[in-house]
Amino acid sequence: MTTIVPTAPVHAITPTVRRAPFPIFGKVFTDSWRSLIGWGAGLAAASALYLPLFPSMSGDASMQELINSLPPELTRTINYDQIGTGSGYAQATLFGLMGFLLLSIAAISWGAAALGGDEESGQLELTLAHGVTRIEVAVQRYLAMAVKILILAGILFLAVWVLDEPSELNIAVENLLGTSALFAGLILFTGSVAILCGALTGRRVWGIAGGAAVAVIGYVFNAIGNQSPDLEWLHNLSPYSWAFSANPMTNGADWGTVAAFFGLSLLLGAVTAFVLRQRDIGV
Amino acid sequence: MSHVKTAETAPRRGAASVVDRDAAIDAVDLVKKFGSNLALAGVSFSVPRGSVFGVIGPNGAGKTTTMRALLDIIRVTSGRATVLGTDSRNAGPELRRRIGYLPGELILEGRTSGRRLLQHYVDISGPVPRGMIEQLAGRFGLDLDRPVRKLSKGNKQKLGIVQAFMHQPELLVLDEPTSGLDPLMQQEFLALVSEAREAGQTVFLSSHVISEIQQAADEVAILRAGKIVTIASVEELRQTAIRHLRMMVTGVSPAEIQGLLAGLNGVGNLECTLAPTGATEATATLGGEIAPFIQAISTLQLTDLVLEEPDLEESVLRLYTAPAGSSAAMGDRS
Repeated sequence: MTTIVPTAPVHAITPTVRRAPFPIFGKVFTDSWRSLIGWGAGLAAASALYLPLFPSMSGDASMQELINSLPPELTRTINYDQIGTGSGYAQATLFGLMGFLLLSIAAISWGAAALGGDEESGQLELTLAHGVTRIEVAVQRYLAMAVKILILAGILFLAVWVLDEPSELNIAVENLLGTSALFAGLILFTGSVAILCGALTGRRVWGIAGGAAVAVIGYVFNAIGNQSPDLEWLHNLSPYSWAFSANPMTNGADWGTVAAFFGLSLLLGAVTAFVLRQRDIGV
Repeated sequence: MSHVKTAETAPRRGAASVVDRDAAIDAVDLVKKFGSNLALAGVSFSVPRGSVFGVIGPNGAGKTTTMRALLDIIRVTSGRATVLGTDSRNAGPELRRRIGYLPGELILEGRTSGRRLLQHYVDISGPVPRGMIEQLAGRFGLDLDRPVRKLSKGNKQKLGIVQAFMHQPELLVLDEPTSGLDPLMQQEFLALVSEAREAGQTVFLSSHVISEIQQAADEVAILRAGKIVTIASVEELRQTAIRHLRMMVTGVSPAEIQGLLAGLNGVGNLECTLAPTGATEATATLGGEIAPFIQAISTLQLTDLVLEEPDLEESVLRLYTAPAGSSAAMGDRS
């Protein structure tokens, strides 16, 4: 242990500027609280547009006829075969489609920007030259992304919970909670792949590609797997199916699957930190 | 110029090298390969504490790579660097708090204001004395309340300089610090560097032109194609630099002047012509000592004599372009 004798002036007595704890984590929110509010408002608006339509649809025989007249492949693809019940309707329209789309986009763009985008723009180099370790930067940015996803999933949970009664959905609150947790896990998994791909390559576009692959392939495999029993094995390759194929809003969520989603995502977060520690930055 | 430590007085390094722990930076045989591209081909140098050390070289010479390796932003393929007594590979947050860094390509985006961005770096690397940021910004005339993405290149550079200096680090690593600054701001920056040295801080800075740093630097390393061509003090560079001279002489023919000067050591590009006035005009370049030249012309009837400041740029450019291994103009010291 050597003692360090600074040759530069030491300002032990001079009052210093106040410093915030967890600066990397906090900066994500000071930079992006506007966008977080925007996504939250978008989710709430989607809920408020879709859910109140349910009473008119379920009570209306002609609507059911219309759906019956659609090609069955189409209704299976967008899960509209379940929209006869309130829980099936909320699952198919909101968690399975609009909310999934919105939050996947948000998570992929946050994940891709967190390390890959920051490195590409050249700002990560400057941050890493300051008093932080790469592990700290990766972990705090990962956690910030996770917290933002949880906030948005929480907003979606609240929106559905509030609209449940006026929209005559009759969703059991524990099923709603379980589905929201699965939803958050699925989105976090997508964002984790995006942040890892960004950290591996130092490029935003690869982060977007990685995250989008999980979301799109997951959705497409689920939709194809819905078409016939012969293709059902595709569900095994689809994170979307892992989360939603058992109709958690109606049947209740499997908390083991929830734990698996979060566990796998955290593992990807750890790999992200490890990868960032090994690499040359900004080359 | 106070303490100038040249490569000759620095400890010799070989296989049984002794790391100079008192140096602010001690780089030993840094090699960096990017794929098949050799960015650093064995760079060794030592920067004494409290000195200003400049590294100049053309684009792609390895200046930025060297600096990034010191900050552990990239990892060298072989060799090692000790920064403030710590191996750069083990550079933890404590070490980096003692370093101020200005990247060569400073990209600042976002709607956040300069003040908030600096606060962010204070949060990471502080403590920063109260009022320090405002004082530095004031010196450069930088508006801290504008969003950083709306700042001009020069103003972004000023913001980068402020973030490097604000926590009064023991070591400043500044990659092309004057790029984008107007001449007045360059002077302000050089004053800041002088003050840092007086306060005992060490400054390691780079440029692709020596004129930007010759005032500030005690020593200059000239880097070319991943290798240090030479390390010399600015004074030594000046002595070997070329001066341009022009004179008017009456009563002597161009041929006689030619005969008188052509044989002198250091005289080159000699041209003697007869001016319309009947006087002889001679232009030449002069390298090395000026005394023999002054003696030679002392008997002439001069009507005009212009002996320009030595042009460091030109002598440095010669080193850039000289074939590898023939840095004879400087005396081989690398």
